[in-house]
Amino acid sequence: MQIAGAFTGRRVGAYVAVGAVLLGSAACNRGSDSGPAGNGKSSVRIAIVTRDFTNPYWAALRDGAIDEGKKQGVTVNVQAGETETDSAGENAKISTLAVQNYNCFGVVPVNATNVITPLAPVAKKKTPILNLDTQIDPKASKAAGVSYASFIGSDNLQAGRIAGTELLKKVKGGDVAILQGIAGEQNGINREHGFAAATSGKLNVVAKQPADYDQSKGQTVTEGILRAHPNIKGIFAANDTMGLGAAKAVQNAGKKIPVVSVDGITAALKSVQSGGLDATVTQYPYAEGQMAVQACIRLAAKKSVPARIVAPIALIGKDDASKALASFPKPFKPYDNPLAGTKAGG
Amino acid sequence: MAAAVTTEGTGRRRASVPATAARYAAPIGLLVVFVVFFIATPDFLTVGNITDLLVSASILVMLAMGQQLVITVAGIDLSVGSNLPWAAALLGFAVSAGWPLPLAIVLAIVGGGVVGLVNGVFTARLGMTDFIVTLGSLSVVSGITLLLTGGNTVPVSSGFLQGLALGGAGPIRWFWLVALIGALLVAFCLFWTRTGTAMLATGGNIDAARGAGVNTTRARMLAYTCSGLFCGVAGVLLVARTGGADPSMQTNLLLSSIAAVVLGGSTLSGGRASVVGSAAGAILLQSLVNGFTLLGISQYYQPIAVGGVVLAAALLSRFQRK
Repeated sequence: MQIAGAFTGRRVGAYVAVGAVLLGSAACNRGSDSGPAGNGKSSVRIAIVTRDFTNPYWAALRDGAIDEGKKQGVTVNVQAGETETDSAGENAKISTLAVQNYNCFGVVPVNATNVITPLAPVAKKKTPILNLDTQIDPKASKAAGVSYASFIGSDNLQAGRIAGTELLKKVKGGDVAILQGIAGEQNGINREHGFAAATSGKLNVVAKQPADYDQSKGQTVTEGILRAHPNIKGIFAANDTMGLGAAKAVQNAGKKIPVVSVDGITAALKSVQSGGLDATVTQYPYAEGQMAVQACIRLAAKKSVPARIVAPIALIGKDDASKALASFPKPFKPYDNPLAGTKAGG
Repeated sequence: MAAAVTTEGTGRRRASVPATAARYAAPIGLLVVFVVFFIATPDFLTVGNITDLLVSASILVMLAMGQQLVITVAGIDLSVGSNLPWAAALLGFAVSAGWPLPLAIVLAIVGGGVVGLVNGVFTARLGMTDFIVTLGSLSVVSGITLLLTGGNTVPVSSGFLQGLALGGAGPIRWFWLVALIGALLVAFCLFWTRTGTAMLATGGNIDAARGAGVNTTRARMLAYTCSGLFCGVAGVLLVARTGGADPSMQTNLLLSSIAAVVLGGSTLSGGRASVVGSAAGAILLQSLVNGFTLLGISQYYQPIAVGGVVLAAALLSRFQRK
């Protein structure tokens, strides 16, 4: 009995020790992430916070930022909330990092305002902040005394326009349907506006429904739309996951209706390659992550960056799909990067 | 019978060592987590970080207090996930309609309370299952919120609310005070009033409580209404912190609020409550997220850790049930 007790006690102790060692080594890894020791560059510490990592889009942004950080020998900590709409969770991550000594922040907001309050103390310390991917409300930011060194993101209006032009090219006219993202999410709204700008008067939108950027929901909603409007000629989905769902629904219904979506995630590129999706307007979150780190390195060295940096986008049809897949997540065509050639400490 | 259950709830029972450990699982767990993170990173146990950690945990503490009351009467409140954004949206709606801020805040809190009251009427008076009722209202309220806001985030730019989120009296942040007052109110109500005794008795054994003359319907309705009111207050804190009212459902906070109460040593079968435990549970959950963020540990491990802690607490509580 006594032996058993002592054994249990020792075992618990061992677990605690193992746990501590694990966590300790994790901390060490973090240290070694900051690149080769003694090169004098590790003083740049960059914090990037995005929405979640279950969306491959944000995971690619994270990978781009971390890879660039390794290449440049600077510390990069990328954190996120738990879901696409976890405004409070993301908020808590920012306020946690705000009291640590990071010298540059890059933030993708969940909505136009959720990150402003925790960024106020960061702005007060005069730490540069980059607004990534989704615009943060400028008026509310100003009222809170928060300003952004730069906005780095792709032009979602333009992405919507490209998608609209492509669908118009394919169907030439008639009834179309739109799958919207999460109600109220700005990027989705911009994509829809862009699509409308390119197609208004030429394509007739007969159905417009949110499918929450969700694949199975995209499929269900499309099935409903196909039943209600059997004569639609084309579908625009505000992101790839919904586009994939829509393509599946079209296929199940035994129809041939072109589906165009936006994002360029691997699954979508593969689908374009195999003739499921018609085309995807690919954005390059990986490049966005790289650019964020490059901009932060410049800002930490007190150099200026452009107030608006547009991340590349490209239409990927069947002809380009395999090339795009081969170089994924990096863009396969050269793009205009005003931050190219940024070197830490240089 | 009812009396025995109540005594158990207020913690005057002599208990074995594992049972005691189970009772204080959350505070002990909190201590362990603090020590581990302290060893792992020098950034954890700093005034700045602990200050922020407690501010971040405040919203969850408020939700956990409401959930605590409902779980005490053997119920469960799933509507928290949409009642919170609903209250926030009411605040946003009122502010953008030009209401004075104090009135808008009252509207948000009352609005949260109304949802709780409706839950209470359905469960306690009409005898419908808690889980189903609150699952239904989770969805319905979420839809109403989306309609009210048109699906958009309503920005609420207010110096007062921003001050509430970032300021305080000296080192004491306003958010802590709100959470502390909320916790003290719940503790007082549960352990020092007849209403609290009625709630504990109702959760312990509803038939016995009814037999002993306890108005169980009233106790359950009150628990749900209070949970709604706490959602309302949390909604105000959420708007203060996020600078706007986001209509999206907050499932993370819903699940965390239940996890915090379970961590705190209350069982979902009701009749047992620990306010300190639930508050410690909420802070523990937030500490895990905070520490992992500081260490830069991959996001994917965080839900595993949170789930692991909840399971460990559930395992410990097996000892508590004799």
